[in-house]
Amino acid sequence: MAWAVMNWGLFKIIYRHTGEIGLDSGWHEHEFFIFLGTIWIINSLIQTLFMANAAEFSELIRTGNLDFALLKPIDTQFLISFPRINWSQLPNGILGAMLIAHSLSELMNEREIYFSIFSIPAFLFFIGCGAVVMYSVMICLASTSIWFGRNQNLYNFWFYITNFYRYPMEIYQRSGVGMALWGTFTFVVPILVVSNIPARILAQPLGTPWKSWEWGLAAYAIVGSIWSLMASRWVFKLALKSYRSASS
Amino acid sequence: MPTIEIKNLSKTYRVYQKQEGLIASIRGLFHREYREVHAVNDINLTVEEGEFVAFLGPNGAGKTTTLKLLSGVINPDQGSVEVLGHVPWERENEYRRKFALVMGQKNQLWWDLPAMESFRLNQHIYGVPKDEFERTRDELCEMLSVANLLGRPVRELSLGERMKMELIAALIHKPDVLFLDEPTIGLDVVAQHKIQEFLKTYQQEQNNTILLTSHYMKDIEALCKRVVIIANGSIYHDGSLEDIVDQFSGDKIVTLQLHDDRSLEAISKIPNLIEIDAPKIKFRVDRDGVGRVLSQILADHAVDDIVVEDPPLEEVISNVFSQAEEKGRRVGEPLPNS
Repeated sequence: MAWAVMNWGLFKIIYRHTGEIGLDSGWHEHEFFIFLGTIWIINSLIQTLFMANAAEFSELIRTGNLDFALLKPIDTQFLISFPRINWSQLPNGILGAMLIAHSLSELMNEREIYFSIFSIPAFLFFIGCGAVVMYSVMICLASTSIWFGRNQNLYNFWFYITNFYRYPMEIYQRSGVGMALWGTFTFVVPILVVSNIPARILAQPLGTPWKSWEWGLAAYAIVGSIWSLMASRWVFKLALKSYRSASS
Repeated sequence: MPTIEIKNLSKTYRVYQKQEGLIASIRGLFHREYREVHAVNDINLTVEEGEFVAFLGPNGAGKTTTLKLLSGVINPDQGSVEVLGHVPWERENEYRRKFALVMGQKNQLWWDLPAMESFRLNQHIYGVPKDEFERTRDELCEMLSVANLLGRPVRELSLGERMKMELIAALIHKPDVLFLDEPTIGLDVVAQHKIQEFLKTYQQEQNNTILLTSHYMKDIEALCKRVVIIANGSIYHDGSLEDIVDQFSGDKIVTLQLHDDRSLEAISKIPNLIEIDAPKIKFRVDRDGVGRVLSQILADHAVDDIVVEDPPLEEVISNVFSQAEEKGRRVGEPLPNS
């Protein structure tokens, strides 16, 4: 929670010096804090539901106790993904929801925001897509433990990768390297799409109605979620074939 | 159709050979040396329904690897296995409902929760109806005398109590095939005996097929009619315990209780003497020469009592392991350490 407050403070300082991130991107202060709140919610979901389990998965491989998960007549990926819930990470999500509510009300005082009965369900649906994509990334990272024997840097890898999805995608679209990063994290590992789409539903940085490319990205967020889940499942099953089971 | 059918099964591990020291560690980043360990080497085995088979072998012989292959935990490099008509490493749920694996050195129960919680989880995972679950659980708890421990966190149970709970967790879905990997390791004689008795009764009642690995000969003597000896990843012998003793023990141990000290002194010069505990004397005699030696002694001395027995099973098995490893070395097989 302290990290979230520091994060918020940092962007508060940045917005004292600039009115917008990116030229004509529409990510003014309130819009950006809606984005930030969205990220906190997705992160909180992942850390509450999966992070401890993914770390535990690496430990199961190292100690050979994955054997018992493989014996059970139940989907192994499901079994290792959900045994524990880390409730201590949930407050960050609640904080994110509060930040969104506050920023949205401020934004509504400044300009007109299109809001319908579908806005919240659509926002939650794309948050779910985000959680699915980030879960898939985490399963892929955790599965590498089977090949490496142990993966103590799971948290570090997670931090490096999630660094790229914490900002509006417009920040990448100014240079060749930036475009390469944008393309990679939009189409190959679609983490940018799933953080940007739910935030755009509420913040509407470019106003309403949405541009056609925004609709395209929203559709791709759904496709990307399905593709990520399938890819993670493939990686997980492939890794299991190489499982050696630590000696007893 | 046999319950377990193994054909030409092999599993080789590639093991990184790390040298000692920092420089060797840095060199290892660029040039890594590996050694191939043939944990299981071209095994063929058939087990019929209701058999209780012991897997014996020295450490690293390939017993546990074979059980892990049979339970689908790891994939083989070559060969085929069918257990109850299923290929284990395809990990079909239908197969996984029919067998259980218990490992004496690993714990599958939730450490911080009472064993009852793990049983309940298994009930749901295996889809056991509530009344059947409760009946099975109560029967098993009664047989193992642990009904009063169901509510105690697993971490607070003794090793023997925990192993009993492990067995109940594994048997709650009434598996047709049971793989037991050293279930009595580290247990005191009382707990060992209790588990032996339990396994014997349970197998007779359920007629399930059991493969057991153990280093305790008491387990093997009490439970298994058939013994498979594995060494260097290959099957060295497959037969009854009596066969092993007949085939691999060339001697009998003779104990005589003599009537007077004069006889004791005369016989004490016999070759292969084991011990003298007057008026008793114990010595080793070649199997074929027992009759000849005894008639000679009885003709010359007064003997109050005679006991002729096989050498301790541990000793026989130890000889078998030594011979098997020697054979493995002669054919150039490296000794596995997996």
